[in-house]
Amino acid sequence: MSDTARGPAISIAGARKVYTVFPRAQRIAVDDVTLDVPRGAIHGLLGPNGAGKTTTLKMLLGLVRPTGGTFAVLGVDSRSRAGRAHVGFLPEQPYFPPQLTAAQAMRLYARLSGVPEREIAARTGELLERVGLEGRASTTLSAFSRGMLQRLGIAQAIVSRPSVVVLDEPASGLDPLGQRDVRNLMMQLRDDGATVLLSSHQLSEAETVCDRVSIMSRGRVAAEGPIAELLNVAGRTAIRVAGLPAGLPASVASVAADVVDSAGLIRFSVDDGEVRRAIDAVYDAGGAVVEVEPKRESLEDYFTRMLANEKGEVA
Amino acid sequence: MRRLSAIAGAVFLDAIKRRVVLAVLFFAAVLAFSAPSLPSYGAGVDVGVYREVALSLTFAASIILALALSANRIPSEIERRTVYNVTAKPVSRWEYVVGTWIGITAVMAAVIAAFTVVDQAVGLIRYGQPMWQLWQGALAIWMETGVLTAFAVAVSAVTGPVVVAVATLTFAFIGHSRQPVLVSYPAFPGWLYPSLDSFNVINPVAHGTGIGVVYVGLMALVFAGWVAALLALGSLGFMRRDL
Repeated sequence: MSDTARGPAISIAGARKVYTVFPRAQRIAVDDVTLDVPRGAIHGLLGPNGAGKTTTLKMLLGLVRPTGGTFAVLGVDSRSRAGRAHVGFLPEQPYFPPQLTAAQAMRLYARLSGVPEREIAARTGELLERVGLEGRASTTLSAFSRGMLQRLGIAQAIVSRPSVVVLDEPASGLDPLGQRDVRNLMMQLRDDGATVLLSSHQLSEAETVCDRVSIMSRGRVAAEGPIAELLNVAGRTAIRVAGLPAGLPASVASVAADVVDSAGLIRFSVDDGEVRRAIDAVYDAGGAVVEVEPKRESLEDYFTRMLANEKGEVA
Repeated sequence: MRRLSAIAGAVFLDAIKRRVVLAVLFFAAVLAFSAPSLPSYGAGVDVGVYREVALSLTFAASIILALALSANRIPSEIERRTVYNVTAKPVSRWEYVVGTWIGITAVMAAVIAAFTVVDQAVGLIRYGQPMWQLWQGALAIWMETGVLTAFAVAVSAVTGPVVVAVATLTFAFIGHSRQPVLVSYPAFPGWLYPSLDSFNVINPVAHGTGIGVVYVGLMALVFAGWVAALLALGSLGFMRRDL
């Protein structure tokens, strides 16, 4: 098996982008970013505005010239035409020539991606249906809503069945149903063997679909790993119980933290050593245990804490 | 070739449907129909003068339209990010620049052909002559418009639409000022002057017997040279640009 077949799907090493602002001031947008995304994974690239996520993606795709670093997709320089042939890209808030119809736009992107001429019509119909735009092939894009353009953007990104799909804020402009469709689509792509690199502000979206995430801040990768490793709180367990109208038994309440009572479902966390005793006490009080799992910090909390720490360091 | 034709086809389809194309066509047709009745000509207006006015109107309208279609094409694609959907695909930057030029130049071919058909129709109705030699003038106008479009596309690959419009008009003005400039500055090497005078065939077409095949061939050479040089520069600038 060749190196091309064995290596990571996406490999970024030492990526750096420095913009020179007239006359000589320099602004570092991305600084020494290294990222390896294994084949068949969904990898999240997270971070606040200005963290360098989009610039990193643009360097990967050859849209922005890097100041330094190497970029590869399936072992091929991703900035070359051969490298880009493996990649489908959805830019943030995609827009299209407004006078074209959806079918004409799809035909354009299919031809540019190398889809054989005889397959374009069938592929267009299949993809428009897959992204929820069936019956819109003849509609001029100037009549499309923001969400419809987003869906078309997703369709054009996967028109050539790419091995690697790069999505920049794919849920932007979509209603909750559309966001769910995008999540399902990403998981379908992974099931089909594609690798997905997802840049997102929607942390809940990343939390749901990503196998690993890289969190960027101020142009650098501040943390990277499987979501479970980043977010699990060592030594604590989250428990969800029901059927306790009077609230948690006193013996549990005394050791529980993060208690949230929502419509009869009570969620709380305890030290791992207290789990057995807490569950017994809940049953003794007539309640039922609905869920027991390692306590996981929400990505939002993690993000907030990380940024607060950085501000503290700066101060 | 497939990628070039795909980009050019999309640019053509998008541009031909724009209102500015219909508006310019409409007003050019109105002017063409009113040309024979212009007061300065009076009754019995000369056929040659009509041809000159018709070609001049076609030229002016073509310049306006070429600028309208090309000055903001690439800048607006960058601003609206439509460019990402193309350049992130296995497409070279030069293919994007050249494909854009081909698309706009194809629109200009259609529009100039429409102008010429209207001019011919008016000539036939008013003077009873089909005036086939107007097509020689139309070809020259299309070639010059192609060069100006190449200039506009090249400049727009690195800067914004206002600069493109001013630079292109300046280029057109300088291109047609060779004679007076060289008279005023005799030390300037004439062979270095960026002249567009080869495309100015209004006089022989309107008042003479037209232009020969050899001249058309020379004009095509000048056209190809200008377009190749300008698009090469534009592609080079676009390749070095962060999107």
